[in-house]
Amino acid sequence: MRDVIAGLILLVIAAVAAWQGSALTVGTPRHIGPGMVPIVLSALIALIGVVLVGIGVREGRAHRDRWPLRGPVFILGAAVVFGLAIRPLGLAVAGPLLVVVGALASEETRFFEVTLFAAGMTIFCVVLFKYLLSLPIPLAPWLIGY
Amino acid sequence: MDALFANLARGFSVAVSLQNLGLCFLGTFVGTLIGVLPGVGPIATIAMLLPLTFNFDPTGALIMLAGIYYGAQYGGSTTAILINVPGEATSVVTTLDGHQMARQGRAGVALGTAAIVSFVAGCVSTVVVAALGVPLTKVALLFGPAEYFALMVLGLAFAVVLARGSLLKASAMILIGVLLSTIGTDLETGEERLTFGWAELADGIDFVVLAMGMFGFAEILRNLENPETRDVVRGKIGRLLPTRADIRQSFWPMLRGIGLGATLGILPGNGAVLGPFASYAVEKKLSRTPERFGRGAIEGVAGPEAANNAGAQTAFIPLLTLGLPPNAVMALMVGAMTIHGIIPGPQVMTKSPDLFWGMVASMWIGNLFLLVINLPLIGIWVKLLHVPYRLMFSAILLFCAIGVYSINNDPSDVLLTALFGLAGYVAIKFGFEPAPLLLGFVLGRLMEEKLRQALILARGDLMTFIWNPVSAALLVLSLGIVVVAALPTIRKEKDEVLSS
Repeated sequence: MRDVIAGLILLVIAAVAAWQGSALTVGTPRHIGPGMVPIVLSALIALIGVVLVGIGVREGRAHRDRWPLRGPVFILGAAVVFGLAIRPLGLAVAGPLLVVVGALASEETRFFEVTLFAAGMTIFCVVLFKYLLSLPIPLAPWLIGY
Repeated sequence: MDALFANLARGFSVAVSLQNLGLCFLGTFVGTLIGVLPGVGPIATIAMLLPLTFNFDPTGALIMLAGIYYGAQYGGSTTAILINVPGEATSVVTTLDGHQMARQGRAGVALGTAAIVSFVAGCVSTVVVAALGVPLTKVALLFGPAEYFALMVLGLAFAVVLARGSLLKASAMILIGVLLSTIGTDLETGEERLTFGWAELADGIDFVVLAMGMFGFAEILRNLENPETRDVVRGKIGRLLPTRADIRQSFWPMLRGIGLGATLGILPGNGAVLGPFASYAVEKKLSRTPERFGRGAIEGVAGPEAANNAGAQTAFIPLLTLGLPPNAVMALMVGAMTIHGIIPGPQVMTKSPDLFWGMVASMWIGNLFLLVINLPLIGIWVKLLHVPYRLMFSAILLFCAIGVYSINNDPSDVLLTALFGLAGYVAIKFGFEPAPLLLGFVLGRLMEEKLRQALILARGDLMTFIWNPVSAALLVLSLGIVVVAALPTIRKEKDEVLSS
């Protein structure tokens, strides 16, 4: 079952690649255009996709795999929050936000410990990245302007 | 021979500059650290530290990153022995006898033996790298675009075969990796490919974004789901130096391990991982008392550890001489070289001899650091294992995010990384491995360029790859390897070796 979905995903990827590739000049073997490689790749990927679907159908078993959502949602969410916050709010805010949101991904998180850790970690990163390595990361544009 | 010494001397003079020494030390230190910490691997770390190396010159940057790689091999062995958790895939075999030795109170001897044989292996491999470098490069320089293309196909074929799990899925990942490498502006015509009109993608996907997303983030997600059971050896570590009897028992296994590891490490497709397994199997077969294996036999540590380190060093050979990354970590190195403006390939040796020989020399120095520094520091590493993962992963996440942002000061890079993290997580859930994708991505652009060049030279004749003897041989070899691996019997054996 898992393989069937995997195969279908591959077919979708192949379709997208082919669609985009055909919009470009494909060219001939004598003079390959930009579209050729994506199209050839999409054909190969589609082939594998079909085979995978075949294998998946043959195996049959409805394989219920665990897909815990808590981890991905909070870890990736934390990164997204950081990305959105870094320019307007700076590292001083985006850093702790990331740590706190990310910490929610684990069941073992304790609130007080996390806030302390977030503060400490941010200070450490500010010193390391901003002062020691001189990277141009916004610190707190809303407060001190850079 | 004179040329070899002259080159090595030059390399050493580069490697002992204060900056490079410092970077070498930093690399091996950090490498050991993350090798000890379960859940953080050299791939994620190198990906994380890549953006920070922009300030350094290419030689220094690569020295540090290389140090992380083989430092991690050593660190992984430490955890394998002490807490029965292999820090790296290559340390799995060390858990078998190494941890048993620890339980018998001989943890120190196990650690000491591992360190010493690794150092000897490192010395020998450094010479191998230096010796093979020039001839291999000469051969490679004779390669035209067609041969080069065929060689990369061979590299990818090995990658497919030696990846764990289904061949089909590994192939799919490689193809997707190559597909991702086509995103961006076409070199010849300037047309935008597969960008969907997004300006951020006009320059293609940044390598670090892909690597951090699929390896860094995805690894964090994977580790959160599977909390490891910890089985820390509480007893004292005991003396570090092996007894004379230990040395006698370890000698030949070490030499055999070096031979196996050095040979397998050169093979594209992560052959370095096979070294320790092969060594263990060989030692067990050759031993007069095979029943001791699995119960604390020192040969079971000496051989695999030597193979481990030898493989880690010789894995640089295809990278530095041919520009082909034999595994995902080397793929990251290719990325690092490209970022610093060095085009990997046979011309590296001639155009940047300081880089090449400096790296070779610093590998030896790095091994020395590992032996001298890490043995005394073992107590500290053990303390670090007590840091709870719930705090560690947040720190890793923050470093990753800052690192990615600092590449282009572009927040959308961070968002893109998160997207790849999701993709990597989904891929793993469906049984796909991210490593082949990274390999395909790194080789993709170059492969396409060579393909186009070859076809222009041949005026559109696709058969040029067959008429050309070298390219034909390589392509046939690639096909042969994939076919052989697909045969059911071989596949069963490979799965046994790789999943044990």
